[in-house]
Amino acid sequence: MGMKISSKANIAAAKSAVEAIKSRFDSVGVEVSSAQHASGHKRTYVSIACPPAHWLALAKWMRFDGGVNHCSMITGVHHPEGGPDKGWEVIAHLMRMPVVDQKPGKALVHDAAKLSGDDVPMEYEVVLTLPQTDTPVVPSVQSIWVGADWNEKETWDLVGIDFEGHEYMMRVLNPHDSPQGFHPLQKQHHLRYHGHNEMYDDAQGFMRLPVDVDKVK
Amino acid sequence: MAQMWITMGPQHPMTHGLWTLRVKVDGETVVDTEPELGYIHRGVEKICEARDFTQITPYCDRLCYVSAMTWAHSYIYSAENLLEVEVPERAEYVRLIATEIQRVTSHLMWLGAYSPDIGNLTIFTWCLRDREMFIDLMQELGGSRLHYNFPRVGGVKRDLPIGFAQRCRAKIALFLERLKEYEMLLDESTVFLVRTQGVGLASAEAMVNAGVTGPNLRAAGVNYDVRWAHPYSVYDELDWNPSVEKPSSSKGADCYDRYRVRMEEMVHSCEMVLEALDKIPGGAESHYSPGDEMIQSKAPLRAPAGSSGFHHYEDCRGESMFYLQGGGEGRGKHPYRVSIRSPMFITIPFVAKTMIGYKIADIPAIMGSFDPCIGETDR
Amino acid sequence: MADWLQLNDWLYDGLDSALNTALHGTPLADYAGFMALVLAATLACVSVLGVFMMGLGLILWIEPKLWARMMDRRGRTTDWRSLWVGEQGVTAGEWWNKVPYGLGRPIGALNRWLNKVMGNASKHPSVERVNNRSWHGAWWALPGFVQTIADGAKFLTKEHMPPTKADRLIYEISPFLIISSTVLIIGFMPFSSGIYAINPELSVLFALAIFGIAPLGVFFAGWSSNNKYTLIGGIRSAAQLTAYEIPLLITVLGVCVLSGSFNFIEIVNFQHSAGAWNFFLLPLGFGLFIITMIAEVERIPFDMPEAEAELVEGWWTEYGGMRWGLLFAAEYMRVWAACILCAVFFLGGWSAPFAGLMGNLGVVGVVWNDLIPGVVWTMLKSLFIFLIFVWARASLPRVRTDQILEFGWRYLLPLSVVQLVIAVILRLSFYDPAGLGSGSAWDGGSGFFWLVPLVVFVVSMAIFIVYSIDEDKDPPSRPYHVHTVEPAGTHVAGSVGGRQKIGNTGMR
Repeated sequence: MGMKISSKANIAAAKSAVEAIKSRFDSVGVEVSSAQHASGHKRTYVSIACPPAHWLALAKWMRFDGGVNHCSMITGVHHPEGGPDKGWEVIAHLMRMPVVDQKPGKALVHDAAKLSGDDVPMEYEVVLTLPQTDTPVVPSVQSIWVGADWNEKETWDLVGIDFEGHEYMMRVLNPHDSPQGFHPLQKQHHLRYHGHNEMYDDAQGFMRLPVDVDKVK
Repeated sequence: MAQMWITMGPQHPMTHGLWTLRVKVDGETVVDTEPELGYIHRGVEKICEARDFTQITPYCDRLCYVSAMTWAHSYIYSAENLLEVEVPERAEYVRLIATEIQRVTSHLMWLGAYSPDIGNLTIFTWCLRDREMFIDLMQELGGSRLHYNFPRVGGVKRDLPIGFAQRCRAKIALFLERLKEYEMLLDESTVFLVRTQGVGLASAEAMVNAGVTGPNLRAAGVNYDVRWAHPYSVYDELDWNPSVEKPSSSKGADCYDRYRVRMEEMVHSCEMVLEALDKIPGGAESHYSPGDEMIQSKAPLRAPAGSSGFHHYEDCRGESMFYLQGGGEGRGKHPYRVSIRSPMFITIPFVAKTMIGYKIADIPAIMGSFDPCIGETDR
Repeated sequence: MADWLQLNDWLYDGLDSALNTALHGTPLADYAGFMALVLAATLACVSVLGVFMMGLGLILWIEPKLWARMMDRRGRTTDWRSLWVGEQGVTAGEWWNKVPYGLGRPIGALNRWLNKVMGNASKHPSVERVNNRSWHGAWWALPGFVQTIADGAKFLTKEHMPPTKADRLIYEISPFLIISSTVLIIGFMPFSSGIYAINPELSVLFALAIFGIAPLGVFFAGWSSNNKYTLIGGIRSAAQLTAYEIPLLITVLGVCVLSGSFNFIEIVNFQHSAGAWNFFLLPLGFGLFIITMIAEVERIPFDMPEAEAELVEGWWTEYGGMRWGLLFAAEYMRVWAACILCAVFFLGGWSAPFAGLMGNLGVVGVVWNDLIPGVVWTMLKSLFIFLIFVWARASLPRVRTDQILEFGWRYLLPLSVVQLVIAVILRLSFYDPAGLGSGSAWDGGSGFFWLVPLVVFVVSMAIFIVYSIDEDKDPPSRPYHVHTVEPAGTHVAGSVGGRQKIGNTGMR
């Protein structure tokens, strides 16, 4: 049958990863736990809630001591109505992959049943919560994972969260000449037809311009 | 000759999509590169904040239009994690069949676009001709040829049509014969080998650190595949192996290795489909009506605020992921945030740096071998 | 070769006597000879141009046809378009059924009749329903032939848009350079012993010298367009064409040494009377000539200067309208000229193959040897060479510029020198000039009239075949860092699916 990392190995690997991070970072307020996906094979992953001040240290430890070598995505969410403590969230999804450079002519063919310890692939979700503010800032992990580079650029471009220490921050999806301060995924920007007014009130609405056409977005 | 910046794009036959690659050349040698993306940024993540969970699926088809099934499924698995839904086993088999046929189609499109970059237009015609067969199969499933809107939260839209298994087996048998022809034309051609070997070297650890996964990583000698590392669907019930290539240099995998990985992946995907047709619960010849509990289970429509779900998925180009947060408009009927991880968005800047040191003529060879798709890059 | 179509003789002698008789007694009588000469020369040039252009039209049509057939050998693309079994007789494209009042029914009947008589019926009933969309044409109407003319006419309607900062003088001169030098080649190429424009003693040298003017024009075009892409294209072209001129010239020198003359007509006469085409005596030269000519005319696999994937159109990007049309035509003119040159140098030009053998076959021999004009043989052989050009284009990818240059300088140049040495040795040691015309020129003193060509050809073929079977070669000895002779991974080329079970593939 097709190989897969068994649930037992998955749970054990998650537990040991949680233990390792806990033992190192519990004292500074980093909350680590094993969480479970809600459907399918219901795999276990490591869920971390980290204060933004310790993100860089946690990232460094994870990369160099925890073997987390892949930064999958760094994204941000804007919560204008999340309460005083939850204004912005930065969520980093990381993975530990058993990948090493190969010599020419050699291949590393893993057998999932035989992987153990730090070789077991593991998913990590790190959530950084920022209070309500107009200038959200978190440290940048660009120097730790190369994959974080363009993820952080996109997060700043679309959501508006600054990454301190990020070199060559630039607009990647929006045009280069977008207005400063325009970050479309913030909740105050509404989609056209957001309140359905135009769509239903004007049968020929597609011929008219939106009501906010001259507003600087 | 002085160094000069050349702009390749946004309209350019090489770029396989709408983006710009600015290249600094010294004679014929590439000295520096700078990619510029975002020309077809459509704001899908923002749009999805105003759509139901079922309404989001067609948007996900249009993310990577060459590989629509895999993107729709990537979203659906994340939505099912968010909404806590159990999927019937037959539906998982149907999803697997659809996804693996899509993988074959996507790789055929890649090969059909890659060979003209190298200069061989014959493979272009051949690949698109054989791709038509599989597009017809997916049209039977999804209703149209490129954007299928096929999976639903909790299952699939409709079951395998009557006769689908017969047509599928016949087409796959024909295709596997045709694949031998492609290999004879390319693998045994010295010109193709000299164009793709030793070019575009990328090592496994550099790729993983940079976020590059999928066939590009498996070309560097490690058989990492999300389908066994973080298993989903019924891949563990089929007899399959990820295709892996031994890198040809100490600096990593070259274009030829990436080409070989995808050729073998096509074979493996075809074999997976055939095996799934044999093993599907209820049999491949039976047909259940849309909405039947064998192919779709009841799913909640709303996700409460504070809930979230994500799922790592093996897309044709790497590891894709959707991260969904619940609690949007309509008391949770719409998601609060949809965040899309596109493998190509991360790979293209990496590849742009890989090209430094090679010749201008190697740019399409290297870029094409990583299989860029701008739809998913720009979202 | 008794070629009855001695066009030049008819023109020169005929016009001379005609004008002398016509102008006898008039004040122009003294100039009759001169006028006849001028008129005959003009008509000879026109006839050569006409024959050449006819061939050009043919190859402009044959190439896309052959290219499409090679790409889709197993049938038209529509044959496998859909294995979808439609319900209730669904068909596609029969618009006449929708015309009201049944007025479309005669059209449907005409369509069905045309398809029955000269259509493209398929064995698969499901494909039949989809295929029945239009009349695909009859072979004797040369479908697609007029497309070339239509395309050419279209170019006349396009705008001439020189780039703003282009060097106008050079920009306008370059097309003239390229096109005029290409057309000038036609002046020196004979199509048969009786159809040629001019026949100087060193016509080969003239033709090849003119062939070499075009690289200059190409470089001018690339530079003057004020465009980085065209600049790169022009530079690549200049480097490539220069690199391949030299093996080309040395190869042709070998042919001329072997044939004893720098004149086209005498080379063909030599091949005919010595009894063996140069192809059999210099197979290496034939291969070198083909390869260097493909590089000279910038076709795939050597079309880096205009590689679409990188440079869009290369050095001719900034030219529009008829300038581009003529440059495009000039490329194909060079291709056609290369094919004709190959036929003349190596395949005996206008001499009929197996002339002696056919001569013994009675009526067939008479038709073969005497009735078919020499120009037909030249065209047929040139078209055959052209098929090789198209075949290479359809099967091979593009070689990278530095690899092209490496190939030309490091491999073709030494080979062409080797070939020259072989030609010298053959001419000096194995050739018996006294046997010219009597079948013993190449017998090497043995009495078997074909000994030398046979031995040379067989040995060359043996070396070629042995060299082609290179699976066991060690990586370092293959050129260009091709270091993966056996495929990396678990696969063997050409054996997809053979090593694992495929599962149930039968139709139920």
